[in-house]
Amino acid sequence: MRIFKHKTNISFLKYQRTALFSSALACIAVLVGIAVFGFNFGVDFSGGTLVEVQFSEAVLDQSIREAGTQGGLADFQVQSIGAREDNTFLLRVGGTTQLTDAHAKQVEAALRQQAEVKSFYADLGNGLINLRTAEKINSAAVSQAANTSEVAVKEVRELGESPNGGFDYQVVFSGMAEKVQVALRAGMADKKFEIRRVDYVGPQVGKQLRNKGIAALIYATLSIIVYVAFRFDFKFGPGALVSMVHDVLVTAGYYLVTQREFNLTAIAALLTVVGYSINDTIVIYDRIREEMVRFKGKSFAEIVNLSINATLSRTILTSGVTALSLIGLLIFGVGEIFDFAMAMLVGIFVATYSSIFVASPVTLWCEKYWGKDKKTATG
Amino acid sequence: MKLGSGWWTRLVIIVLVTLFSFWFLVPTYYSLFVLERKDRNKLEALEKVLPWWAPPARYRLSLGLDLQGGVYMIMRVDTQTALMKRTDRRSVQISTLLKEKKLEEVLVESKPEQRQIRLTAKDTSMAASAEKALLAAFEDFEVALREGESFTLQLKGTEAKRFETEALEQALLVVRQRIDKWGVAEVDLRKLGTDSIQVSLPGHDNPEQARDLIGKTAQLEFILVDEERPDFFAKLYNENPPAPELGIELGPGAGMAATLIAKESQAILDYVEGKIPEDRVVLLECEVAQTGPELPEASKASASCSRYLAYLLEKTVSMTGDSLASADVVQGERGRIVVSLSFDAQGTKEFAELTTQHKGRRLAIVLDGNVYSAPVLMVAITDGRAQISNDRDMRPQEQQFADAKMLALVLKTGAMPAPVSVGESRQVGASLGDELIKKGSLAAVVGLLLVVLFMAIYYKVTGLVANVALMLNGLLILAGLAIFGATLTLPGIAGFVLTLGMAVDANVLINERIREELDGGNVARVAVDKGYDRAFWTIFDSHITTLFAAAILFTTGTGPIRGFAATLIIGMSASLFTAIVVTRLITTYLVHGRGAKTVSI
Repeated sequence: MRIFKHKTNISFLKYQRTALFSSALACIAVLVGIAVFGFNFGVDFSGGTLVEVQFSEAVLDQSIREAGTQGGLADFQVQSIGAREDNTFLLRVGGTTQLTDAHAKQVEAALRQQAEVKSFYADLGNGLINLRTAEKINSAAVSQAANTSEVAVKEVRELGESPNGGFDYQVVFSGMAEKVQVALRAGMADKKFEIRRVDYVGPQVGKQLRNKGIAALIYATLSIIVYVAFRFDFKFGPGALVSMVHDVLVTAGYYLVTQREFNLTAIAALLTVVGYSINDTIVIYDRIREEMVRFKGKSFAEIVNLSINATLSRTILTSGVTALSLIGLLIFGVGEIFDFAMAMLVGIFVATYSSIFVASPVTLWCEKYWGKDKKTATG
Repeated sequence: MKLGSGWWTRLVIIVLVTLFSFWFLVPTYYSLFVLERKDRNKLEALEKVLPWWAPPARYRLSLGLDLQGGVYMIMRVDTQTALMKRTDRRSVQISTLLKEKKLEEVLVESKPEQRQIRLTAKDTSMAASAEKALLAAFEDFEVALREGESFTLQLKGTEAKRFETEALEQALLVVRQRIDKWGVAEVDLRKLGTDSIQVSLPGHDNPEQARDLIGKTAQLEFILVDEERPDFFAKLYNENPPAPELGIELGPGAGMAATLIAKESQAILDYVEGKIPEDRVVLLECEVAQTGPELPEASKASASCSRYLAYLLEKTVSMTGDSLASADVVQGERGRIVVSLSFDAQGTKEFAELTTQHKGRRLAIVLDGNVYSAPVLMVAITDGRAQISNDRDMRPQEQQFADAKMLALVLKTGAMPAPVSVGESRQVGASLGDELIKKGSLAAVVGLLLVVLFMAIYYKVTGLVANVALMLNGLLILAGLAIFGATLTLPGIAGFVLTLGMAVDANVLINERIREELDGGNVARVAVDKGYDRAFWTIFDSHITTLFAAAILFTTGTGPIRGFAATLIIGMSASLFTAIVVTRLITTYLVHGRGAKTVSI
């Protein structure tokens, strides 16, 4: 069985201008899209709380949204995941604890009315307030003061007398997951639900994870380029680089267009695309190198075209087989795994296209440019 | 034509590798299918059910927290804040010292953000004498800048570094202690980089409890041991024997008296509840299993308790750790290992009073409600400098040293706690985990079946050969993950499928090349050999580049993503072996061994 019964002789390079133009357009569109609309960053990168809730009966996302807004959840987002009959939703809330700057100020004002506050420190990231009063006060009073905002106080701890004078207290606020639970119970009293998963990521960590992810992409691309440049020839480097960047951008476009959550798994998908993108390109490059030895008389453009044709069936087959393996994940995968498989699928097809229509023409141009360069240099 | 001796050697190697892989999957099989679910993460339980010929239990592929439910947390130690506090503290101590030396006219100005203290004197000679006095007293600071009659002291870089590692150790100690109190069976605590701790609690599903870990800063207290009732526990035990299922025994305590000993802290606390005098409290000491000197002392802070010892203490706290200035392990007289500690001005006064009044009694050092040591107050200490030693300690020096370091760490934690915050917390319910395993394996099976079917239909016999290699590759990935003691995560399952999909690409490349050689007029034997030789470098290069990406993902990724990267790395490496060596062996047998004139491709 074969895809092509006879040897193909398609003049791929004839389409190189159209192809490069549309590829460039797609890349620019993605870059502009990122700048204008931006990714829908998951809690991994933006920080915040992610709660997965499963209801025992059918529920509209609209009613969850209303319950959340009534419950005072900020930056509240609801997304249905999995099959419809699973009744499962991902809820995203900004912040990891219920304590915000405004709340802390309210609490401080309320406390000052009750006692002389010697020091007051709100640790928003951990949802804690540490305070020292001149006189010993009732912890119930502290709790009451702290509850003036709609934030839920989990516990007031008496830390005892300080050696420097005064009495120390610590107010612990509940996490966001609890607030989500309370909001859903209040807003959708008649529905039963189960919290299946909770992810918190602090804002600082989120930023760190994002920077790490971007750095990883850059390192991976560079190390592969260096390898290709040494294994083949320096003129092959730019083609590989351009096609890799192209593939990553277009794959990122999947997350941009669908506005699916862009998280650590998405970075893993992009990195895998980087590694995979070069595979198809290497198949063609290897062939070009081989044909260059075999047909010394032919022009470089002819050799490139010949090589693309010779490897066409295996380029299509390898991509096809890898894509086949993803089908199970596309059918049964839920949430980020589905997105991973989908992004990989996009990446695999784009990588196949770019090895023919991006990497090869760019390499051809490099040869032309450097070839001329050499001539002028030798005089 | 006959098969060469090289062929037979390769066959033996392949058979051995296959058997070896199966063998390494034995612990994984037992842990997932033989062990009860609740024991799944217990190595000892696995060790018990494993047959004698199986590899050690630690070589098993465990399920990631996303697949079995549990809490995964990354706690960050804020050393920056701790260093700022330390600088502030020093500036107060400097003022006190300057007063003592009659240099109170020197202005002290703390710049905690830069870890600097600026001092301004009336004239240069006063500045010089102040500098000399301060540098002699505070060895952790150095002069950063001199300008006329003012100079700036700065915390030494080496001190800051040392402090960072210590802060991480301290945090590890506190976090471990607090988790111990929850009674969670399997805890995995690990240092992550220089400022983070990774906490994995499989099967645990209360992330709100995580806040208790960071809730308050650890409190160090000095509490007097009750000496009026030396036989308190012995009497209690004899008059009111505890239920045998509590596992409480009577044994020698740290002093002369007998005490209660149990494996579970809660058992002792439940037993003594309501049986203690009004003004007394029972606190426990956690005894870490003998780790032996070869283990790094770091593991001591994160090791779990092997048993608990009860102490009867006074209810009133004699002193808190706030007034402790420093604690360190030093070599005392005759090479004895001692922990030396010093108090600040306020603490010196309190400690002098305490030691004079209660000379001869034992003073328990309590961190976060756990007793660490209860040294006897031998003499009245009025200068604020004390030493803790254990004369009767006959154990090897290394062990004594490790214990002393631990005690110093405890004291420092009270003196200079570093705040800890939750950087990341991921919690998955057990029901979701079960569902993900089901869906994940189904997805993997469907994906692989499609690939296998395609290869068999498209390439016929050669396709079947590739499928054999694919199966072997799958086996090698699982065995490889087991050998590294890796965890299987949901992204890992996705990686498994994708890796196999990419591994089979190698066979596609080889087969296409063989077809090409056949089209070029070569006979089967030559076409196969040429096909393999020519496809080799293409396959090698494409595998190496994928490995680059996977390796970078492995080093930068956390949690489940690392599982994905590990799968990809092992799979790509294994694929070089299965797709090239294994398939070539079989194909060679088909065309050379059986002398076939054609290849079914």
